[in-house]
Amino acid sequence: MANFRRFRPEDLNKLSKCNLDPLTETYELGFYLQYYAKWPSLFQVAEDQDGNIIGYIMGKLESSPDVYKFSEHYLPWHAHITAVTVAPEARRLGIGKMLTEQLEAAGDDGNAWFVDLFVRKTNYKAIKFYESMGYSVFRVVKDYYGEHSTDPTQDSEDAYDMRKPLKRDVKREHVREDGKNHEVEPTDVW
Amino acid sequence: MSNYAYSPPPLKNSVDMQLQSAFSDGNWPTVVRLASKRFATFKDPYYEAIKICAESQLDGTAEKCAALVAIDELVKSKKTPDIDALELYEFACRDFLGYEVEYADGLGPLRARWVKANATSPLAVQCLQSCLMYWDLVSAQQIATTLDKTFANSPDRRYMFWSITLTFLLSISPQCTEASRKIYSMLTVRQLEKAADLTESSEKLEKTARGLLTEEEVCLYYKVLLSHGTKEEFLTRLQSPKLGAIAQLRQSRKLLFCEALDVLEKWGKWDHIYNLCREALNLGLEEVTTPFLVCDLRIWKKFASSASKATDNDAALAEVQKTLNKFIELKDKATPMYKKNISLALLETTFKLPSTTLNPNHDQSGLSPRVVQIGLYLDQYYERLAAFDDIKGYVADLSFEEIKSFMDDVLPKIPGENPENKNEIIIKAMECKLRYLLTTCPQTLSPQSSVIDGESQRKPYKCRFCSRPASSPCEFCLKKIVSDAADTYSKITADKELLAAIPGLDRDPRLDLAVAMGTALLKLAGLRPYSSDATHSLWEVIQPSLLFQAVLLLDNQLQITPNDNGLRLLLIQLYLLLGCASYAYQLWVPMGVKRTIQDALSPLFFDRISTIAPGLFQGTRPLMEPLRTYYSYTLQNPSPLRIWDAFSSGSYTSILDMTEYDKTLRTSCTLMMTLVEERRATRSFGGKIDIDIDDHPLTADIFDDTVLVNKTDYGSFPNLESVYGAPIQEYLRLGPGLSNERSHLHYYTEKYLDLLTYKVPQPYKPAKPADAAAREKAYTLEVLSHVSETLTTLLQSSQSIPLTPAEHTYFSILSLLSSAVSIALSTPRTDSHPPETLSLLTTSIKSAAGTLRTGFSTTSTEKIIGSLTELHSTALARDTGIAIKQSAAFVLAWNEKENARDRSGRSGLHKEVISEMKALEAAGVKVVGEVKAHFGKLKEGLSESGWLDRVLEVTFPEDGEDEAVRRVVKGGEEEEWAGRVVDSWRESVKGWVSVNWQ
Repeated sequence: MANFRRFRPEDLNKLSKCNLDPLTETYELGFYLQYYAKWPSLFQVAEDQDGNIIGYIMGKLESSPDVYKFSEHYLPWHAHITAVTVAPEARRLGIGKMLTEQLEAAGDDGNAWFVDLFVRKTNYKAIKFYESMGYSVFRVVKDYYGEHSTDPTQDSEDAYDMRKPLKRDVKREHVREDGKNHEVEPTDVW
Repeated sequence: MSNYAYSPPPLKNSVDMQLQSAFSDGNWPTVVRLASKRFATFKDPYYEAIKICAESQLDGTAEKCAALVAIDELVKSKKTPDIDALELYEFACRDFLGYEVEYADGLGPLRARWVKANATSPLAVQCLQSCLMYWDLVSAQQIATTLDKTFANSPDRRYMFWSITLTFLLSISPQCTEASRKIYSMLTVRQLEKAADLTESSEKLEKTARGLLTEEEVCLYYKVLLSHGTKEEFLTRLQSPKLGAIAQLRQSRKLLFCEALDVLEKWGKWDHIYNLCREALNLGLEEVTTPFLVCDLRIWKKFASSASKATDNDAALAEVQKTLNKFIELKDKATPMYKKNISLALLETTFKLPSTTLNPNHDQSGLSPRVVQIGLYLDQYYERLAAFDDIKGYVADLSFEEIKSFMDDVLPKIPGENPENKNEIIIKAMECKLRYLLTTCPQTLSPQSSVIDGESQRKPYKCRFCSRPASSPCEFCLKKIVSDAADTYSKITADKELLAAIPGLDRDPRLDLAVAMGTALLKLAGLRPYSSDATHSLWEVIQPSLLFQAVLLLDNQLQITPNDNGLRLLLIQLYLLLGCASYAYQLWVPMGVKRTIQDALSPLFFDRISTIAPGLFQGTRPLMEPLRTYYSYTLQNPSPLRIWDAFSSGSYTSILDMTEYDKTLRTSCTLMMTLVEERRATRSFGGKIDIDIDDHPLTADIFDDTVLVNKTDYGSFPNLESVYGAPIQEYLRLGPGLSNERSHLHYYTEKYLDLLTYKVPQPYKPAKPADAAAREKAYTLEVLSHVSETLTTLLQSSQSIPLTPAEHTYFSILSLLSSAVSIALSTPRTDSHPPETLSLLTTSIKSAAGTLRTGFSTTSTEKIIGSLTELHSTALARDTGIAIKQSAAFVLAWNEKENARDRSGRSGLHKEVISEMKALEAAGVKVVGEVKAHFGKLKEGLSESGWLDRVLEVTFPEDGEDEAVRRVVKGGEEEEWAGRVVDSWRESVKGWVSVNWQ
C-alpha cells in the first residue's frame, strides 16, 4: 500500500489526504522548499498506490548559531523533526515510526548527537508515541504555542522539547531524566 | 546585492560621516548634494553612484532612470565595474528589474565581469547569488565557471557542481541561444562523464578529486544523462559497479534506484527493471541493506509486471515468488506497513501469473487462486480503512465466475464463524461498496440481442448478477445496493451496542454505506460523466427526486461524520451543481485549504464560481484574496523560491526539481483561474479592474505557446468506480476540469475585454493627434487580429475541447466579435461595397447568442429549480450579451471619436458598419435584458412561501421510490436540509440580482 521515497516538490500537489486533516499544519511553500533545498534526504514521504501522499516527515540537521555557543541553551549538532504526519487512512501501520526511524538513521549518518522535536504538552497521544520510540522530555518551553489546542480560555500552550540520543552520544550526555523540571522561555530555543 | 532589494546597501567605510548619516537617514536631497560635492572633489565614480542611487529615491522620472543609464554606460565601457557601485545601482533600479529592465542585459553581465577580475573575493559568491535571484542564468553560469576554474583544487566541491548545474540549467532554458544550446549540453555531459569515469577508476576518491562522491552528485549526473545523453549511456552506467543503481543502493542510497525504475518503465525496458528489482530485493535478504529498504509496493508491482513480460515468464515469475517467499519468512520482523506490502505483493504476483499456471486443469469453478488470495488478504485487513482501495483493482480484474464465488462464498465468511456484530457490519459495508464497484465492471453485463422473441429490447445488456435486462450500469442492481445499504444502516442506528463500537473502528461503516447509497442514487438519477457534446441541461436528463435524495442522504451523513473530507468534497461538488454556492462555501471553509495546497485544491470550489455565484465575491474579505496573495508572494522573484538554499547546500537534484516546480507553478491553470474568476466577478459588479491581464505580473511567463498545467488534486474523493469508467469527480463537476485550452481561451477573451474597456487617462492630450490616432488604430487592429486568430485556432484545435457548451458558445462569439470589430475598424469609409464578411459575422453572432437564452422559464417549481442548476449557462449568456453590447459600443465610440478629431469626416467608419453595429448593440441589450428579467423572476419565484415543502415534494414525490432514504434520514433532518438548500438558492439569486446589468 505504501512506498517510501524522498520528497519531490510535485508531491505538494498530492497532499490532500494528509493536509486536509485538521491535525496537520499547512505551511507556506517556501517552508517546504527550504527543507527540500537544505536537507533533501531528511524530507521523506510515504505514498499510496495512486501517488497520494499518506505520510511525510520533514527534518533538519543543525546546531544553534555560533553566537550562542556559550549559552546554556546552545544546541550542538543534532537532527530536528520539524513535522511528521500520517493520513487517517494510513494510521496504525507504523508509518510514523518508520519515517521517524529513517530520520534518526540520517541523523546517525550525519554524526548528530541527538534528535529533538517539539510537541504540545497536551498532545498525549504523540508524547506516548515518541516515548515508545525512546524519546524523553528534555525541557519544557513555556508558552511556545500561540494558542491552546484544547482550552479556549488559554491563549498559549507549553511545549515539551523531547529528545532521543543518537549513536554519537555514547554517554547519554544530551538527555536527562528530570526534563519536565527544566523550564525555558521560547526565546531560549532556536 | 540580493540582500539590498528592500533596504539600501551600506556605504563604504571610507565615506565621510556626514554623507553616511544622510544616506542611512534616507535624507535623499542632502545625499544628492553631498555626493555631487564629493565627486567633484575626489573624482571617485563611487560618489556619482551614491548620487544616482539617492536620485532614484526621488519623484522625478529622469532621476529614477539615471541608474539605468549609468548601468548601460558601464556595460558599454567594457571596464571592470566597482562592486560597491554595482550594489548601489542594483538597489536604485530594483523596481524596474524583471519588468522594464532585464537583469541579464546589464547588472548580470557587469557582475560576471567583476567576478572574472576578482574571482578569489568572497563577494564573488554573492554576485552568483544575485544573478540567481534574478534568474539570469547566462551571467550565473559565467560566474560559476570562473569560480570553478579558480578553485579547481579546492576541497569545496560545490564550485565544480555549481558550474555543471548552471551549465545544464542554461542548456534547457529559453535564455540559452540555439547556437549555444548544443555546446552547453555537450559540455555538461562531458564534464560529468569525466567525473564519473574518475570515480569508477579510482580506488578511493579524495575530497579534492573531481569525481562523483555524494548521492546528489551522482543523481545530478543521471539527470543530465537522461536529458542530454543517449539511452545506451544511461543503461550502461546504471549497471556500473560504483555508480550503478545497485551499487548506490548498497550505500543505502535509494533515490537513483527509484528514479531509474521510472525511466526504465517509460522506455519499456522490462528486462532491466526485472534485474534491478531482483538484485535490490536480494540486497535486503542478504542484509547488505536493511531488509525492507526497497520493500515498497511499487517495487513489487514492477518486479511482478516485468517478470510477466519476460521471454521466459514462467521462470521469471517463479523467481518473483521465490523472493517473495523469502520475505514472507521475514514477515515477523517487519513493521505492519511492510507486512501489508508483502501481503499485497502476494496478491499482485498471483494476478500476474498466467492462467495456465494458476488453473492448469481449466477448472470452471470461480474459487480460483486469485479469489482465494483476495480472501486471504481481506482476512487480515478487512477492518482497515484502506481495505477497499487496496483490493478494488483486483476485484475488478476477476472474471464473472470468480466475482460470484468471491461475493457469495468468500466475502461473507471473512469475519469468521461467530463474528461480532461490528465485524459483520464492516463486511456488509464492504459488500455494498464492492457491489457498487462491480456495477461499473463490464464483465458483469452480457450483451443481449436487440430483438428477443420478436420484441425489441430497450436495454442493450443482460445483467449477470440479477439476470435482468440492463443498461450500463444495471439499474436493478443499483437499487438493490441502495436498499441493502439502507437495511444495514438502519440496523446500525437501531443497535446501541453497534453505535458504541463505532468510535473504536478504523472508519464509521455508516459513512461507507451512505457513500455507496449516495453514488448509486446519483447514477440512478441519471448523472453521467461530463461530455463536451452534451446538448441537454442537467435538469433535462436527470431524475430530480433521486438526485435530491442522494444529496440529502450524503448531507445527513456529513452532519454525523463532519470530519470526513472525502464526503465533504463530494457534497461541495453536488451543491455547486445544484446552484447552492453559498452553502457549498460553508462546507468548503472548514477544510482549511490554505497556503501551499491551494494550487492543487482550490479548483474544487473556485473553478467557474463567478458564473454561479458572483454574490460570494461581495463578502468582507475578497473571495480570491488568499489565492492571489499566495501566488503574488510565492512568485514575486523571478527565481524559484529558496533556490539559493539548494545551491549553498549542494542539493543539485533539488535545484533541478525546484526549477521545474517553479515553472509549473508559474504556468498553473489554477493561477489563471484565480485571475479570471476575480476579474469576471469584478466586472459583474461594475468594479474597476486594476491592470490588464497581459500586464499582470502573474502572467509574465505565459505566452501563446505556453502549456498551462492542471494539477487539481482529486486524491481525497471517495471513489468507488472501477478503472473501466470515469472517476466520480467527472460525474459531479459543472463541466470539464481546468485545462490548458480553457485557460488560454480565458486569457485571450480577457485581453479582448481589456481592449474594449480601456479608458484613456484624462490628462492625456497627444501633441500630434493624427499620428497618435494612427498608432492607436494600428495597435488596436494588431491586438484584435491576434485575439481573433488565437481564439479561432484554440477553438478549432481539437475535436473535443474541454468546455461546457455555454463556454464554447461564449468563446466562439467572442472570437467572432473580435473579427467583426477588426473588420469594422479597418473598412474604409469610402468603400463602395463593405465586406460581406462583417454581415456574415454579425448574423452568426446574433444567431449563436440566441442559443444561449433558451430555457429561461420560471413557471413551475421544477422550472425554477432547473434554472438554478443552469446558473453557469445563464451567467455566460449575460457575459456574452454584455460583450456583444460592449463590442458594438466600442466601434460606435471609435467612430464618434474619429469624427470629433477629424472634422472632415474621412476618418469615420463606413455607414454600413455603423448600422451593423447598432443592430448588434441592440441584440446584446436584448440578451442582457432577458437574463436580467429571468433573474428578477427567479427572485420573485423563490420569495414565494412554501419552498421547504416544494423541495421536499421534489425529493419525495408521491409515486417515487424513497423508502430506503427515508429509513436512513430521520428526525426531521430533511426539513432542515431543505431549508439550507432554499436559503442558499435565495442567496445566489440575491447576488445575481445585484450585479451590474449595464
